[in-house]
Amino acid sequence: MSERGPGVREIDHTADLGIEVEAAHLPQLFSAVAEAFYGLIADPEGIEPSEEIEVSAKGEGWEELLHSWLCELLAQFNLKGFVGKQCEVTTIEPGRVEARVKGERLDLKRHRFYTEIKGVTYHGFRVWQQDGKWHARVIFDV
Amino acid sequence: MQGKNVAGEEIKLKRIEDCLWEIPRQGGMRVPGRIYATEKLVADLKEDNSLRQVMNVAHLPGIVGYSLAMPDIHWGYGFPIGGVAAMDFDDGVVSPGGVGYDINCGVRLVKTSLVFNEINEKIPQIVETLFSLIPSGVGAEGAIPKLSKENEKRLLRDGARWAVEHGYGRAEDLEFMEEGGRLESADAELLSDRALERGLKQVGTLGSGNHFLEIGRVDEIYLPHVANALGLFPNQVVILIHTGSRGLGYQTCEDFLKVMNHAMAKYGIQLPDRQLACTPIRSAEGQDYLSAMAAAANYAWVNRQVIMSLAEKAFLRALSISPAELGFSLIYDVCHNIAKIEEHMVDGKKRRLCVHRKGATRAFPPGHAQVPNAYRQLGQPILIPGDMGRYSYLLVGTEAAMAKTFGSTCHGAGRVMSRAQSKKQSRGIDIDQEMARRGVVARYQGRATMAEEMPHAYKDVAEVVETMDLAGISKKVARLRPVGVIKG
Repeated sequence: MSERGPGVREIDHTADLGIEVEAAHLPQLFSAVAEAFYGLIADPEGIEPSEEIEVSAKGEGWEELLHSWLCELLAQFNLKGFVGKQCEVTTIEPGRVEARVKGERLDLKRHRFYTEIKGVTYHGFRVWQQDGKWHARVIFDV
Repeated sequence: MQGKNVAGEEIKLKRIEDCLWEIPRQGGMRVPGRIYATEKLVADLKEDNSLRQVMNVAHLPGIVGYSLAMPDIHWGYGFPIGGVAAMDFDDGVVSPGGVGYDINCGVRLVKTSLVFNEINEKIPQIVETLFSLIPSGVGAEGAIPKLSKENEKRLLRDGARWAVEHGYGRAEDLEFMEEGGRLESADAELLSDRALERGLKQVGTLGSGNHFLEIGRVDEIYLPHVANALGLFPNQVVILIHTGSRGLGYQTCEDFLKVMNHAMAKYGIQLPDRQLACTPIRSAEGQDYLSAMAAAANYAWVNRQVIMSLAEKAFLRALSISPAELGFSLIYDVCHNIAKIEEHMVDGKKRRLCVHRKGATRAFPPGHAQVPNAYRQLGQPILIPGDMGRYSYLLVGTEAAMAKTFGSTCHGAGRVMSRAQSKKQSRGIDIDQEMARRGVVARYQGRATMAEEMPHAYKDVAEVVETMDLAGISKKVARLRPVGVIKG
């Protein structure tokens, strides 16, 4: 495993890419997972927070909610090329999450693109609490 | 043979034949697992989770015979990549994870009348023209501008035929694709708006990751009579195209994984991994998935057909020759991420099965009704791309494949290195120089993708193909060496 910024570890998986994220509380977990997800797509250094989009998702239980949330972020990337840099969770409650994400559209001439993510898998997908912290583990199909 | 995997568990393997190993039935497994591999390949497997995944697949309701793994098996999600699972049509399940995100990802091989030595100086020019005509890389779009939603639905229904009717390729191409380039059960109405929207602009695009278009030359021939019958000769220029259903397929997989994850409880199905989510084949969800999958599969055939036609245009333009001089002609097109309803003999009885091939290729024998007439005596051609710096193979299917693997064989080299490891190893390497050293002219969109896909990240495809040849499942016909490649 390799470090990818505070609280985020990249999981070495032969075919795919995974992340393990640790956060102090639930809103931070969702925003940290989102930022780590974008970090797999392109180098965050080059992304400007010039555009803001609102993203919301629904799902029963925190795992389902986090999964739906990542699928929404992936859809925004796939349909509009939007890559986030900063994510602020505005509402999180059982069943739904809402957030504002600042970033911009991917431009291959200016940005350092890393990987096209095909899907957010359920394989080993986990959200759990341990030692007073929130953790999540996600493997993406790339 | 035994060893500990990443989870620290020890999975014992029993040797059945030289290149065949078994994981005996245990716990909730309904059938044993069987893995085709040489001793060396098996040693690599003990380090990751792929054997555990073979065991997990064996838990699926209605699985028949064995949970199978081909020698290019590597750790996937849910199903291992290189996995084959056949389910009873009446009592079994269908699983979107057993097909994968890239529905009908596949490979096609095109022959030309060109001799490599006569055009080798023009390869850079051809590669450049291919790269400018075929949209590649993340978000690649626009090969067919202004595709309407109605036309998109038509192509999802008609498959490769739609492409031919719209001027991409020739009617005779259709004969040389599995299912004639069209699964009849396709229903575009079952795809989400999001899937349709993603599909609209991506027809005829290569995409990113491990997808590519490769110019190769016939490097070695193992079965001269088969090669001859297929119209292949030494040093001939050929083209290999590897891509699938792009965003439309990925979205369809995602949509149905969700549907099936919710529906499983209703059918009382419990599984060790949610990525294996499935429902009975005969359930509404199962039937809907198969029809949606068929639509996405049709999209992939259109995609490869359009790319092939653009490639022909690129060759004509770069070489300033006539179509007759170029002699561009499809040899065959295979799917390696798909579920098909097929008939197989099991314990002496003919049974209707849903065969999942995830990173595995159909390998039907000579005489099989689904092998094109022109190849009926030879067996079905099988196309195995290697990594981009070494070689690819053309094989044919055998009776042994029908008897032992539900008519299936390997699909590629299989990764040995994670993407992160490969990138690390690629640091400081001049990718262009490295490819040039291997005699390959490369044009690509992203350096990161190239760094992840360098030859060192893969098993040697020769060993994978050799394993299946020794086991008698598929026979080597020819080896192709890459001389030019375009990638996303």
